Amino acid sequence: MTAESGAASSREGRPGLDGVRMAVLSNRYEGIVRAMMNTLFRTGRSVVLNTSRDFSACIVTGDHRFLAAAESIPAHVMRGPDMMAEHMTELHPELKRGDAFLHNSPYHGCSHAGDHSILIPVIDDEGIHRFTVVSKAHQADIGNALPTTYAASARDVYEEGALIFPCTKVQEDYEDIDDIIRMCMLRIRVPEQWWGDYLALLGAARVGERRMLELGAEVGWDTLEAYTEEWFDYSEQRMIEAIRQLPSTRFTAHTKHDPFPGVPDGIPLNVTVEIDAEDARIEVDLRENVDCQPCGMNLSEACARTAAMIGIFNAIDHGVPANAGAYRRVTVHLRENCVVGIPRHPASCSLATSGLSDRVANAVQRGLAELRDGIGLAEVGLTIPPCCGVISGFDPRHDGAPYVNQLVLPTLTGGAGGPAADGWLTAGLCATAGTMLRDSIEIDELRHPIRVVDQRIIPDSEGAGRFRGAPGGLSEFGPVGSTMDVMYASDANISPALGAVGGTPGGLADQYKRTRDGELVKLDPVGRCTLEEGETIVSIACGGGGYGPPVERDPERVRHDVLEGWVSRERAADVYGVMLDDGGPVDRAATERRRAELTTDDGPDA
Amino acid sequence: MRFAVDTGGTFTDLVLEDDAGALRLFKSPTTPDDPIRGVLDVVDVAAESLDLSAQELLGKGTLFIHGTTRATNAILTGSTARTAFLVTKGHPDILLFREGGRSDPFNWTQPFPEPYVPRALTFEVPERIGSQGEIVDALDEERVIEIASELQEREIEAVAVCFLWSPVNPAHEARTGELLAERLPGVPFTLSHELNPALREYRRSSSTAIDASLKPLMTDYMDGLTSRLEDAGFGGRVLVVTSAGGVLDAHDIARAPIHSLGSGPAMAPVAGRYYSGLDAEQDSAVVADTGGTSFDVSLVRRGRIPSTRETWLGPQFLGHMTGFPSIDVRSIGAGGGSIAWVDSGGLLHVGPQSAGADPGPVCYGQGGTGPTVTDAALTLGYVDPGFFLGGTMKLAPEPAAAAIASQVGEPLGLGVEEAAAAILELATEHMARAIEEITVNQGIDPRTAALVGGGGAAGLNAVAIARRLSSPVLIIPEVAAVLSAAGALMSDLTSDFGATHPTLTKDFDLEGVNATLAGLVERCDQFIAGPGEGSLESQIELAAEARYPHQNWEIEVPLRIERFGVDDVEQLRQDFHTRHEEIFAINDPESAVEVVGWRARVRCRLRESESRQVLAQQASHEPAATRRAYFRDAGEVDAAVRHFDSLEPGEPLEGPALIESPTTTVVIEPGATAERSESGSLRIQPGAGPAVATQADEA
Repeated sequence: MTAESGAASSREGRPGLDGVRMAVLSNRYEGIVRAMMNTLFRTGRSVVLNTSRDFSACIVTGDHRFLAAAESIPAHVMRGPDMMAEHMTELHPELKRGDAFLHNSPYHGCSHAGDHSILIPVIDDEGIHRFTVVSKAHQADIGNALPTTYAASARDVYEEGALIFPCTKVQEDYEDIDDIIRMCMLRIRVPEQWWGDYLALLGAARVGERRMLELGAEVGWDTLEAYTEEWFDYSEQRMIEAIRQLPSTRFTAHTKHDPFPGVPDGIPLNVTVEIDAEDARIEVDLRENVDCQPCGMNLSEACARTAAMIGIFNAIDHGVPANAGAYRRVTVHLRENCVVGIPRHPASCSLATSGLSDRVANAVQRGLAELRDGIGLAEVGLTIPPCCGVISGFDPRHDGAPYVNQLVLPTLTGGAGGPAADGWLTAGLCATAGTMLRDSIEIDELRHPIRVVDQRIIPDSEGAGRFRGAPGGLSEFGPVGSTMDVMYASDANISPALGAVGGTPGGLADQYKRTRDGELVKLDPVGRCTLEEGETIVSIACGGGGYGPPVERDPERVRHDVLEGWVSRERAADVYGVMLDDGGPVDRAATERRRAELTTDDGPDA
Repeated sequence: MRFAVDTGGTFTDLVLEDDAGALRLFKSPTTPDDPIRGVLDVVDVAAESLDLSAQELLGKGTLFIHGTTRATNAILTGSTARTAFLVTKGHPDILLFREGGRSDPFNWTQPFPEPYVPRALTFEVPERIGSQGEIVDALDEERVIEIASELQEREIEAVAVCFLWSPVNPAHEARTGELLAERLPGVPFTLSHELNPALREYRRSSSTAIDASLKPLMTDYMDGLTSRLEDAGFGGRVLVVTSAGGVLDAHDIARAPIHSLGSGPAMAPVAGRYYSGLDAEQDSAVVADTGGTSFDVSLVRRGRIPSTRETWLGPQFLGHMTGFPSIDVRSIGAGGGSIAWVDSGGLLHVGPQSAGADPGPVCYGQGGTGPTVTDAALTLGYVDPGFFLGGTMKLAPEPAAAAIASQVGEPLGLGVEEAAAAILELATEHMARAIEEITVNQGIDPRTAALVGGGGAAGLNAVAIARRLSSPVLIIPEVAAVLSAAGALMSDLTSDFGATHPTLTKDFDLEGVNATLAGLVERCDQFIAGPGEGSLESQIELAAEARYPHQNWEIEVPLRIERFGVDDVEQLRQDFHTRHEEIFAINDPESAVEVVGWRARVRCRLRESESRQVLAQQASHEPAATRRAYFRDAGEVDAAVRHFDSLEPGEPLEGPALIESPTTTVVIEPGATAERSESGSLRIQPGAGPAVATQADEA
């Protein structure tokens, strides 16, 4: 970890110019990351890259501090790339320009094995390693035993089955090391799709390398590093101010992941947060939790640290730049061999970017919200319902060619209510913060033998609140002219996304199979569902939690929700206490009466 | 005589071209309550300066080309028609879900955008077509008829119809259109397969909904424009600038008004291409148009103007996608009116807030209090407070300097000039980054492209931008201040047709592709025979929208032929590899290439290209020989002041210097050299500016 005394006040003496240079340089870094992301998006071959944008790019300093990530997925980058870069220098002490490393090891800083990453050290003309650029993309397949990158039931990394690359050199002098490529081509399903995504990852990192080398040549490496320090100092200062807005306190938030294979009683979690407002520090303690479990739910160290960080950043002033400077004020305490800590090989971390990550982040942000109305965030939805499952099979339109891909249909909704706004409809989950794009039905149907027959938001499934959560979403789909496997692992069948400061929880997730004669058969929350022609799967994603008491919601917003079919008239009356006239306008007097009734009762039912 | 009028946010610009090809430039304030009045006003201004009546002047006109923000503004202000959306049963939330995406991960204060058409006005139609065009569920015509009567009851003013897979099989949409025409006479509707036959249901739905919602309003506007011009004496042809960088007849725009979105900015690259072609050796150019509130960047790549499919009305992820190809114009909120401020951590910001035209910068003396880029330029001595807009507007330097000192200088510990220079520098950085993003996206290295500056505020930091990007040359055309209107004058009558016919190079459907191309060419020929009748020449360009198999985003590859023979397929594959590497730094030469769509662009040239020399503008005053001006690296120096027209072609002018015209000021920094070219443009060698971020070491 970075020394906390690193906040050298080099700003003294010439504070003004620094404000200008920092702004200029932070813009340049973001611009470089965007150029990397553009390459990934435009050139990736799997739907999960080129449509749903499940990838990230970032820049890490030469001494492994997280610097810039533009619009990357928080779970991919907040912590992890820094740890991966550190392992790179440990495992490969002699770095040369032209090197590139393939990395997906959750025991060496990667989020989970499903996120293939390319690390490229940016080496200056003197041979000094100045920065590391990282591109990271969730894969459609990584050669797991079963066709999914989310092996919920895998008892260990062996049963998970993927090739693990603990920062493995994959290019030297800008040329592929073909041995590695050949291993992947033999192990990963639909290898040409993986090959395209690999090229995209590599291209993105090379673009980043080239642009960083240009920047260094233009500005001078030492000057660049000096200003980078100032950018960290500035970010730390913003973090200090944000923490000083919070009350000094210590609390433990409790949450529980639903029962999954290998954990029949679910996984209860205790998340302790201590805030010292005066000293402007936050500590998050995840050590009081069970050991690693015999399933794919264990967090990687990167995901455990990131999840705590996401909860904090979701809860505080959003103007704080998320980088190693701001992180100086946050300590996350982890324990080895803990389910939300530092996994001990061979514990499986297959679901580390969702599952418990989301539970931890949600507990932190909801716990902070409970400290005072006006801060924090309710809980965002949980995953992974079938609408974001991994589908696989053989395409009868292309001579039975195999396919495998993760769907990211738009009905993964889940946005949480907050102090200032309703839940963002397509937030998805804490880990991705809505940055992912959603599939086009026509593109999915073009690419795979699938038909999406129904897709819509589910009325009355929002967590009610002054600012409500997003309603849940329904998708129904099935194969065309073939058989299709859908693998999914859906939390929140039992424990919903909770509301905060009086807001109610979002609706639960659920899943069904519709048989050929139209009958709905309930499915397990985790499964590999095989659909025959004429059968469909119905995916119900959970709603996001509400923020603040529903009876305080602006009646005009409730009316809008009713007119737009998000909330029924009954729920408007029963939960929000808003009475509408027949034509639609709010009946002010009746609403006041109804709200008075609801407040004197024990409050609305969830 | 030809007229080109561009209605902008602040000014309505007119470029008048006489029959000898000479240009005259005029500006008059925009009148948002009735923009056509502003159009007639600027004609009055021109008539007056030519000692003619407006009736006489318009009577000489043969062409009237109009760029308008009417459609864009209607959407921004929510004054479009009450529109219903008809969609395939089971998919009512296409416009609601959009394509996901969010740009600021931890900012949860932004509400989710409303769908373009409310759910309450969305109707599910029982029908379904599959991915290969097969009918899965037949169209329920009875239900369409029921919906039509409901629409009537609910006083719907326009209808958008978008069914899944209609680009592949339009039968259901077409039949629905027939039923609507029967049942709802007089209510305009748009069918998605007719307007924008491209896959991806959100984009196609969005185009369809936007287009339908604009129909009543734009029909009125176009009727109003043509009839008021006729009443005022004009007897020629009225054309409207399109987002594709061409022009269409006013009545055609009324039929597909979505094409008039972004109508103004799309013209700047047309002018930029013309002037970079005349004045620069490079065949690529970056065209930067700086107005009062926005900075618009567009490109010329080897003589062609690249377009994009991703056009957003409003910010990305928050606005609406037009789903339509348009000239790739990147707009950011940066311009003369951008306000500078310092945050609690001591970081300088410029924008995105803008003082706009009202109250405007502090120096306008109209109540503005936040220091702007224009105030900074004035404080640095770049702008003559007595000669702004040719002296028609007096500026107040003291309040401007005071605002900079108190709101930027003090918090940063800087003197007023240093603070003003910092404001310009950060604005320059924002603009440079906008240029970098679009050039990266389109695979152009800005170091190999000429930079063309346009817009009233372009000259303030164009040299600084050129240095920051290492541009080899900066061109400021004589028409810079009215670049879009000048572009409109040069534009051709264009239209764009697309068709979906997927095929792989390794298994190429020669017959099917050739039939598709023949169909597109036939549509172009119809256009040439219709709106293009009487044009001097016409041209059809064909392109493939292609990708590697399993990629999702096509890049456009121009075709070398109109009909494929067996050998042409390999050429297409090679051309694709080359384009892919240009844009993304990688290619996959062993791979086959998948063509998804085919496009045809038809272009009819309406007029001979003439000299386009701007007639000398009468200077209202003789500028002083020098003015004190502050530059970051040179400090305060005496800068030469020259009138634009006083520069002889070939005469070098070394910075520091300020070149003024009634419409703009161009700042020539120390180390840069300007000269006037034969075409009248300023050709500036930016010189090597100091590298970014080295200043502090010297301080």
